[in-house]
Amino acid sequence: MSSVAKPSVGYLTIWVWLLVLLAAGVALLAVPSKTLAVVLIFTVASVKAFLVLRHYMHVRHQPLMVYALLAVPLLLAIALTIVLLPDIAFR
Amino acid sequence: MQAVAEPLHGHAHGEELSFWRKYVFSVDHKVIGRQYMSLALFMMLIGALTALLIRWQLAWPETPVPGFAWVPEPTMFAGVVPPEFYNALITMHGTIMVFFVAMPFLLGGFGNFLIPLMVGAEDMAFPRLNMMSFWTIFTASMILVASFFVPGGAAAAGWTGYAPLSADPQFTGVNWGINLWLIALALEFASFLMGGVNFLTTAINMRAPGLSLMRLPLMVWMQLTAAVLFMLSVGPLVGGAVMLLFDRTIGTAFFQPARGGDALLWQHLFWFFGHPEVYVVMLPGFGVLLEVFPVFTRRPIFGYKAIIYSTIGAGVLSFVVWAHHMFVSGIDPRLATPFSVTTILISVPFAIMVFSMVASFRGGSISYPAPMLFAVGALATFLIGGVTGIFLGSAAVDIYLHGTYFVVAHFHYTLFPAVLFGGFAGIYFWFPKMFGRMMNETLGKIHFWITVVGFNCVFIPLFLAGAAGNVRRVYNPMQYDFLKHLAPIHQFATIATVVLLIGQIPFVINFFWSLFAGQPATDNPWKANTLEWATASPPPHGNFEKVPTVYRDPYEYSLPGLAEDYLPQGVPAPAPRGV
Amino acid sequence: MSSVAIAEHPHADSREFTAQPLGKVGVWWFLASEIMVFGGLIGSYILSRIAAGGWVAERAHVNTRIAIINTIVLVTSSFTVVKAHAAAEADDRERTRWFMLATVLLGCTFLCIKGFEYSREIEHGFTPATSLFWSFYYTMTGLHGLHVLVGIIINFALFLAVGGGGWPRIKHRIEYAGLYWHFVDVVWIFLFPLLYLA
Repeated sequence: MSSVAKPSVGYLTIWVWLLVLLAAGVALLAVPSKTLAVVLIFTVASVKAFLVLRHYMHVRHQPLMVYALLAVPLLLAIALTIVLLPDIAFR
Repeated sequence: MQAVAEPLHGHAHGEELSFWRKYVFSVDHKVIGRQYMSLALFMMLIGALTALLIRWQLAWPETPVPGFAWVPEPTMFAGVVPPEFYNALITMHGTIMVFFVAMPFLLGGFGNFLIPLMVGAEDMAFPRLNMMSFWTIFTASMILVASFFVPGGAAAAGWTGYAPLSADPQFTGVNWGINLWLIALALEFASFLMGGVNFLTTAINMRAPGLSLMRLPLMVWMQLTAAVLFMLSVGPLVGGAVMLLFDRTIGTAFFQPARGGDALLWQHLFWFFGHPEVYVVMLPGFGVLLEVFPVFTRRPIFGYKAIIYSTIGAGVLSFVVWAHHMFVSGIDPRLATPFSVTTILISVPFAIMVFSMVASFRGGSISYPAPMLFAVGALATFLIGGVTGIFLGSAAVDIYLHGTYFVVAHFHYTLFPAVLFGGFAGIYFWFPKMFGRMMNETLGKIHFWITVVGFNCVFIPLFLAGAAGNVRRVYNPMQYDFLKHLAPIHQFATIATVVLLIGQIPFVINFFWSLFAGQPATDNPWKANTLEWATASPPPHGNFEKVPTVYRDPYEYSLPGLAEDYLPQGVPAPAPRGV
Repeated sequence: MSSVAIAEHPHADSREFTAQPLGKVGVWWFLASEIMVFGGLIGSYILSRIAAGGWVAERAHVNTRIAIINTIVLVTSSFTVVKAHAAAEADDRERTRWFMLATVLLGCTFLCIKGFEYSREIEHGFTPATSLFWSFYYTMTGLHGLHVLVGIIINFALFLAVGGGGWPRIKHRIEYAGLYWHFVDVVWIFLFPLLYLA
């Protein structure tokens, strides 16, 4: 059911990109500002996750419901963490 | 594209299944639904027993409970409940009733039995996963029951298992009891995650032609919302349960304040799930009411769409109210206001649902067989529960009422109507469909009246006790001078509990007698519209002769100009009305 | 597509609201619940770490190099499993088997490296009971590892089943198993920086 135009080339390219991004993430450890390093490292991780979702899990070709199934729990988990900040993180 | 009315069975029916495959390890959702229900009723016996022992101890503290002298020490002492066992009793009562009675009864039982039938499917989307989900909760139940018999006894840190009481065995004196409790809960969560996947996939993907989402029976909407709520809220507690188990067994520091852990984190993780969980348990109960009312008022449900949107709204809101269980736990006080606001807000969708149900009676031709009695009783008693919740939702008032019997009475006034009254209404209503026989109406009426009077007599006094300052989870409230005057209230409530329990005997007799000697039921004894009544009682393997087609909404009763006062969903429109 | 669907699922042709097979709808719902499981645990870790002031001293003892190797292994296994899916879509059963085998072997490699990493850490005296950081470290990677193990078992079962009968059903299940496997990979994509980098 998932239509993939040119599978083989696409998948390998993504794999290479994932490794490149892995290297980039590790390299970011050298960034002097710790806060900036954290932000950038997680941005890189998000890009990697996005690549897997889009090109390996073919999220584009799934029904709209799937976007909701991914977004809602993610937002909920993030919201839970944020609400708990005053109670647990900043005691 | 094949014609709509193609036969359903894609597999050979030549082979006759063995007894084990047909009745024990069955993949048929109807068998599995009945298995869930049997498990729930069995666990309810144990839960009721714990209730009896608790209430006896509260009414006549440290006196022997009649008939329990045989229980060995150190669980009981010549029939007397000691403090340690009291803590185990209240813990296990809550755990059993919420997780091993309410959920298997309403979701596993009615959900499994009804969803495929109501959407016109021949079984659930994943029949083998369905079977596995039942045996998972069966295993979980056995583990939980076994925990009574391990050294140290059953879990005794409350059904909420707050850390650090629950995190360090030396605080409760219970070791394996709580470990098994955690394992049983984890298995129960896994069971309902499997079930949830099944319910949602089936209702989304396997509906009969013509059955749009806005033509679904409200019971299905309630089950689906419950499944979504459960699946989205249980995750953090699964993590939390693993964390607690590791704290107890391998010495991790998650909830150990002395080592940097945070006991409050457990409460947050628990209640983030715990609050949606109570709606998971309530909504299917409402679903029963919403199916029973139209049939016995012979009128459509008032506000079908309003009810659906309210249910979804309540579901969404249920994720942002959880800290109202924690107002006095030491949360950041600034969190109290937003959570108070959301808690008061959530009463709005529920009010809309309740008012819609009441409005559904207007102009109806109402009859009161047993299912309807229980449904009306549920609505009336739930109102009291809902209204008392508003007091508790206001943080300022909750400071006084938290941890008192006011809370206990409140949640029994919401859970009991939804789960038990709703559940009984459902059994009396769908028993003909499940077992092909009618239940006895007289016994049903006796059961209802004793139950409703008994229930109110147990719990109305507890509101008063709570408002007078009677804290909960205390082994002997009479040890405090300022509570001594409440002794008659506790004794009255305990006597009412005994009456309530005795009142269940007509039901047990009715249930088993009707199974074998009840009057044989027709396909549609209640003259109802939804698809489960369009097939035999009980439905054959595969449910329907051919895929039904749905032509209309589920509650088309008393349409003018027709011979009958009901018009089933699966019947094509009669000539005068071109639907 | 629909005629194939009728043959496999005689009851699920014109009634598929999502125009997707049942198994795929089911897997996505399951993954949604799994996001909450890991989300809760990861959120708890983040909160506890902020409360503790960053755990910089504790985190110095994790072995980033081993984790980088493991990340490469897992990402590659995602590649092989999606190649298996593509081969299955093309009905090339031989290629499918090879790629499923590769996925299983890479998954086992991941677990072996993880086990080796754990044993090194325990040798140095870092157990789950050592401190709150290590409690989280072992629980999060352990839960993730459990998911990897389950995925290996599923993938291995499918590897064995490719040669047998019922090909259309196996074909679809390879896609679903792949979705689960990718999810496990995505969780690691976030666990890795959380525990080893940032």
